[in-house]
Order: sequence, then C-alpha cells, then structure tokens
Amino acid sequence: MSPAAAPPAAHGSTGPRMHGHAWGSLRREWIKLLFQRRSYLIWGGAFLIPFLIALAFYLTRHNPESGGGGPAFVEGITSNGMFVTLAALFLLIGFLLPLAAAMVAGYMIAGEAELGTLRIVLLRPTGRGSFVLAKWTIAMAYLGFGFLLMLASGLLFGGIFFGLHPIVTFSGTTVGVWHGLGLIVFSILFGLAGMACIVSMALFFSTLTDSSLTALIATIVIYIVITVLIQFSYFDWLRPWVFPYYLQDFTNFFRDPIYWRPILKGLGVFAAWSGVLTFAAYLVFRRKDVLS
Amino acid sequence: MTQTVAEAPISTEREGARPEQQSCGGRVPILTTHALTKQFGALRAVDELDIEVCKGDIFGFLGPNGAGKTTVIRMVLGLIHPTSGHAEVCGHRVPGEMQGALRHVGGFVDDPTFYPLMNARRNLRLLGSMTGPVSEERIDEVLDIVDLRDRAEDRVGGFSHGMKQRLGIAQALLHRPELIVLDEPTSGLDPRGMKDVRELIRELGASGTTVFLSSHLLHEVEQVCTRAVIIDRGKVVVQGPVSELRPQSDAVKVLTADQGKAADTLRAQFGAGSVLEDEGFLIVQAGEDAVPEMVRRLVADGVDVRAVVPAPEQGLEDFFLELTGTDDAGRAAPAKRRAGLARVLHGGRR
Repeated sequence: MSPAAAPPAAHGSTGPRMHGHAWGSLRREWIKLLFQRRSYLIWGGAFLIPFLIALAFYLTRHNPESGGGGPAFVEGITSNGMFVTLAALFLLIGFLLPLAAAMVAGYMIAGEAELGTLRIVLLRPTGRGSFVLAKWTIAMAYLGFGFLLMLASGLLFGGIFFGLHPIVTFSGTTVGVWHGLGLIVFSILFGLAGMACIVSMALFFSTLTDSSLTALIATIVIYIVITVLIQFSYFDWLRPWVFPYYLQDFTNFFRDPIYWRPILKGLGVFAAWSGVLTFAAYLVFRRKDVLS
Repeated sequence: MTQTVAEAPISTEREGARPEQQSCGGRVPILTTHALTKQFGALRAVDELDIEVCKGDIFGFLGPNGAGKTTVIRMVLGLIHPTSGHAEVCGHRVPGEMQGALRHVGGFVDDPTFYPLMNARRNLRLLGSMTGPVSEERIDEVLDIVDLRDRAEDRVGGFSHGMKQRLGIAQALLHRPELIVLDEPTSGLDPRGMKDVRELIRELGASGTTVFLSSHLLHEVEQVCTRAVIIDRGKVVVQGPVSELRPQSDAVKVLTADQGKAADTLRAQFGAGSVLEDEGFLIVQAGEDAVPEMVRRLVADGVDVRAVVPAPEQGLEDFFLELTGTDDAGRAAPAKRRAGLARVLHGGRR
C-alpha cells in the first residue's frame, strides 16, 4: 500500500454521472457471462450436437435398420442437410435446451449471491428492476447465441455430409433453399421464445434462493412435472395453458401454407408465462434482503 | 480526572430513553439513522437505532459479534430493508432513494468479493462503470493507493484475502465518494497491511472524505476514528467523540495496612458504595476533592494509609467490554458493574 499516495478529493471532482444506460448494463452482464467457463461448455454443446447428429446419420446412412421415429425431417437428413438443424432442435428442445436455459438463468442472481458478488454489485446505483431485466435479457441473448451456433453447425455439417437442397414440406410442396432457411430461422426463434419461459422461471427461483443449483433443480422439476402431467388424458384441460405443450409446434412452419394458429397460440402462452414469471422475479428481488 | 462524562457530548441509553441525536456542531450530517429497526422473525437484530455521522468524521462503528453492525450497514446501503425507521445518506432517504444515495457512497460489506476469472483491472472497470465513467488513469490511481498496481493484470481468483481487502478499498474509492463505508477493512491483513490501511483511512479523513468504519478492533478505532458509536443487541450503548468516549474515572487506589478494616470504614463512614479489591489495592470512587476527607476518616478510624494514587483510566477496550456486558461466552456482566458504569457515564456521584 502506498499511504503517501494522495487519496481522492471528496468534493470538487466531477460528480458521478448517471450512466446506467440499458446498454451498459447488458454489456456488463455479457462480459460476466464470457468470464464463466460453463458458458463455453453450453455453447460448445450447441455447436457439437448438430455435428454428432449429422455424423451419426452419415455413418448409418446405408444401414437399412437405421432411422424411424420423429417427424419426416429427422429421417430426411440423409437426403438433405437442411434438416440437421431442425432435427437437433427437435431432439434437444424437450430436455437439453430447457436444462441449459435453467442453468444459465438459475445462475444469474443466485450464482452472484453464491459467489458473494451480488452484495458488491448492488452497492452500485443500479436499480434492482433494471438489474433483473438485464439478467433476463442476457440469459436470452446467451441462449440466442447458442441457437445461432446450432443453426450454423447444422447448416455447416449438414451441407458437408448431405448437401443443402430445397425442402419438401409436410404438405408435399417444395420450397427453395433460402425460403427453407427462413423457415428454419423462424423455427429457431420459436424455440427460443419457448425457452423464455424456462429462463423466466429459473430467474424467479434465482431470486428466491442463494443457490444456483436449487434454482436449476426447482425449474427442471416443475418443467418435468408439467411435461409428464400433460401426457395423461386426465389433464387434457391443462394442455392449452402450459408452455411445454407448444414447444415442438415449430414444425407447423413446415406446412404449406404455414399453420399459424398453434404457433401464435404457443407464442401467446410463452409470452404470458414469461411475463408473469419475470414480473414475479422482479417483485421478489425488489424486496429481497441480500444477506449473502 | 475532574471532568465528568456528563460534560462531554456523548449519549447513552443507560436510562432507558433513546439517546438524543448528536449535534454535528455546524457540520453537515452525512449519515443518520432514525429509529432504524430490523426484525428477523422473533429476533430484533436492530432496535430503533439512532446514529449520526457528520461530514468529515472518521466514524467508528463498534459492537460485539451479533450486535447488529452488519445488519445496520446492509440497511444503510440498501441491501436489506428495515422493518421500520429509515436512514438518510448524503441527503437521500434510504431505502426510498437508494440509487441517489449510492451515487455518493463507496464501500463494501463483509469480505469484498470479485469475479474470480477477471483480473483486478477488469473487475474495477466493470464495477466502476455501474456508477459512471471511469478512466484507466483513475483505475491506475486507486490501484496505486492500495499498492496493487503491479497485480492489476492478475486474476482475482488467485489473490490472497488481504489483496482482496485492498482491492475492495480500491473499488470503494473509484468514484471519489463522499462517504466510504468499510466493514472491517483490516480483517485478514498482516500488521503492515493493517497499518497502511489505517494510514489510508486517516488520509481519507484528512482529505474531507467521511469514513464509516466498522471494526471489532477497538484499538483501531481509538487510533483512527474521530467519533464512534458502540452498539449492543441492536441498540446504541454510547456514541460521541472517541477522545471523550472513554469514561473519565474518578477512582483512586488506596493502600493501607489493613485492607479489610479500611473497606469497612470506607463503606460505613465515607459512604463509598463500591469498594473493590484489585491487586492488593482498594479501588474507591472518590474525586480529587474527596480524597483528603477519605484519608482523614481512615486515619481517624485507626487505619494506616500507606498510599493513595489515581486509578488508571480505562482503555476503550475495557470500556467496550463493560458496556456490552458480555464475556467471551456471551454471558452478561454483573449488574453491579454495569450499574456502576452507568453512574460513571452519567457523571453521577456516589
């Protein structure tokens, strides 16, 4: 320590100006994510899985016993690499993508509490509301980047192994490569919208606990319980109201014309769940006593 | 010896009423709490606490473990919400105007923690940008102040506890705050580090920055602080200037040939309420003016007086232990001791 160094003058200095622009908050949260090892693991997985799917289909393309199960685009991979991304989305959106979303969002506040940085961050003049909103936005941006990697990887390895060709829709019509790519992007965005529910739920639990693992587990347990419940006909009445029911409705983009009704209904349910849970997270965090 | 504590501008809660707010004597109060209370379930961690920190103070915040110090700091800094009451920090009511208050405050609570995979400079840049623009020069400046400039590019995850403490001080200084709140900043530092931090705190005070220093090191508060408050069980026990906080004892030590008889005489004929034995001496509450009369009474009763000397003043540490009334096991001090102390605090006579 250099006691001789003159400490700063308390007054007369240019007073701290309000700098809490939304962009600044988002930038800081993004930087924090980049300095977590787990971020790269999940992104690595998002890039690797389409490659593994493409490789598996490529290696078994001559095996007459391979294939079967899933929508037509899963089986259609061997004839068109455009389907690799869609197959990855279809296979992952049931569990692995919700798990990744819950991990990221569950860590957002509880992880900072665990680390002890929450109390030092909240000593800065950042409103708790904008803090929660920035966390939610960055969790979504993080997942969005993961989806982008999945898209890129699917197209890259799908193209390498099987080539990229015009897509035959479920209705039997054919759309060009660029049109097909647009539909794939819409599918990805729909999947991302579905993950917003998981992000909001995990963020909500993240405000309730100081353990990111607890937030993750609580989110996944609730997600699994809902998913299991709607498998039973007794809970048919519940299906239209819960987001897991709609997660695979991106396949409706591949009808000609696009079957918008379930898509829009799904987006409405996603928005409602996400909105309510994010607001609940804000309400809890606004009054939360930070004791960590 | 002649000055009684009643003349000094300190306040206590010994008589049950809340102490009156301290006057800053023309200086601006920069941090005040008004009946600040925090209840955790059945536990009243902070109980209608009134403290006042004046601009330019180096204010010591003392109390035994569990006294509620950290809870108070967390409330003042908006980390937890008071059950009732409020604080005013740099002219902003807390918790209502927390963001306004935090623009003028720097500090840390408990151990300062940082993002372990980022280096010291990036941590400062990130935290600093939450308050306002921070130049690289300013970051270098604060790193220089805490002697961490040469470790600026190292990951904080590899820092020792002491280095993190110093980095905590650096981040607190970044925006030249009016008020710096430090929660046991010398905890975990080696003697040299402790000395340097204390020196830094003194310099901050000299430059006009108000420092609110929570510490369990009483000699640290004695060395560094200008004013202090001692709290116990969430309540103010005493607050005032450190130089006047320590009670001015009017006790004398008496050495006689027959201590037993002397004690009886002092109680019966001199009216001494409290006569204690200490290392062969009798400790008697007797002001300078009363000593001749006391000696006359003893001699008249046939007690040979060999010596009468002033009892040494209590150190702040002893005073603290007396006030908070707990031993290491958290047991309450004897009521008589506490009552005697209250008398001393209020400048009362026997």
